[in-house]
Amino acid sequence: MKIKQLLLFAFVAFGYLFHASCEDEMANVVTDEPVKNITGSWKVVQLTRNGEDLSQRLNLTDFRIDFKEDGSYILANELPFVLVGSGAYTLNDPQYPFSVLMTADGESEQIAVKLQYPVVNGKRQLSLSFSLGCAGNTYQYNFEREN
Amino acid sequence: MKRPFQNLVYLYILAGLSLTIFLVHCGLKALTVTVPAQAQVDERVTFVMHSGAEPRIEEPGTYTTQLLAGIMVPKSWNAREQAVLTYTSPKGNGTLRMIPDSEIEPVSGVSWHQAAKNMFGIGPNLVDDFEWIIYRSTQSYTFSNNEDIDFNVQVACNVGSENMLVRLGFYVGSSIENLRPEDDQYKKFTFSDVFEVSGGEGDVQDFVNPQLGTIQPVRSLDNDIITLVFNGGVMNTVLDGLNEVYLRAQAFDSDGQLIAEVMEQNDKTKMGSIGGRQFRIDIWPRGFFAIEKGKQIARLEYFFTNADGTKTVGYGNTEEPFRYTFRCE
Repeated sequence: MKIKQLLLFAFVAFGYLFHASCEDEMANVVTDEPVKNITGSWKVVQLTRNGEDLSQRLNLTDFRIDFKEDGSYILANELPFVLVGSGAYTLNDPQYPFSVLMTADGESEQIAVKLQYPVVNGKRQLSLSFSLGCAGNTYQYNFEREN
Repeated sequence: MKRPFQNLVYLYILAGLSLTIFLVHCGLKALTVTVPAQAQVDERVTFVMHSGAEPRIEEPGTYTTQLLAGIMVPKSWNAREQAVLTYTSPKGNGTLRMIPDSEIEPVSGVSWHQAAKNMFGIGPNLVDDFEWIIYRSTQSYTFSNNEDIDFNVQVACNVGSENMLVRLGFYVGSSIENLRPEDDQYKKFTFSDVFEVSGGEGDVQDFVNPQLGTIQPVRSLDNDIITLVFNGGVMNTVLDGLNEVYLRAQAFDSDGQLIAEVMEQNDKTKMGSIGGRQFRIDIWPRGFFAIEKGKQIARLEYFFTNADGTKTVGYGNTEEPFRYTFRCE
């Protein structure tokens, strides 16, 4: 019985400590979500069409997208993309972005590209998905930062 | 201190054992389907799924669930808009409602329809232009031990306006089990024999028999990435035994005018061997044909050739080219 009481006491004591420490910690945690920064030069590491991986079958080496700090982008593409050339971009929400809004130079139409920002094998990836021809065909480009 | 602990162990073993028995013996009967051999275009056809429940539950427990049923049909049928699923069983009759796209199948983390597509695929069909659509009974049912029943699910569906040869997919399941990959008790699926739709205009879309030349995705525009496959295993051709096969293609606009062609045999047109006498090439037509902005390719005509272009294979192993029309509908 003694062990049981001791255990009970220890449990309650730990519980209290844990609870108390949590409260202190929680008060000090900064809850501001950092602003997502997608600037830099990105190279394609994977391309899928309707979930089918085409990376090994297409030449991805010459495809680059450069998001500059001044809000412009430059696209070097030998592969289809929603836009060509260069233009301006902005995130729909700097803290919780789920799309990047892109406008090509000389065009008025703003195109929303679905954006994900996962960490794969310890590296931050930029994942853009969209349709190019038929709406039923979805392409996903996964990029890694070059610099 | 020892006795309660021992009891707890027994309890765990008992729980584990009953769970195992439950998993092994409870479930659905094998699924069979009644599908007519053929139908006319735009005809409304009824397909019937036959299955049953075999509840083996530890007394006095019960098992409450909703019936799931799914169909895999060509996208062109537009079944989401017009198919109606009903069921009949000794426990009652009712209707099934399509599960909303927004509802996530918990195991896979994607919609139920996508989860079913990932899990069951397109079965014996060779070309993918299909969608799985999953429905759930509006009512739930409670089973007690050994309450075996047979049930039928009727699928009333318009078969679309295109001629085709196709094998349809069917699924039944239990709503509380989700689509667990390892489970084979609560999810039963099968594919029908060949179902023919005829009487419409245009070529027959053959999903079932191997084709000499195919393009995927079946529906695409010139700004998509398309995959052309030459399947030399289908019949004997002049390209038999060759290690290198090339694509020769012409692009036409909507007025039927030739706007670009790629006739040479080089790295750009070389197809990759994928085994089984099959060769594949992935192209982005706008880039492949260097189409200027503002112009559109409406359709392609193409041949497969040998390395110097002297031997060519066309549609059905004739002198006629393979043809492909860009479209989304």
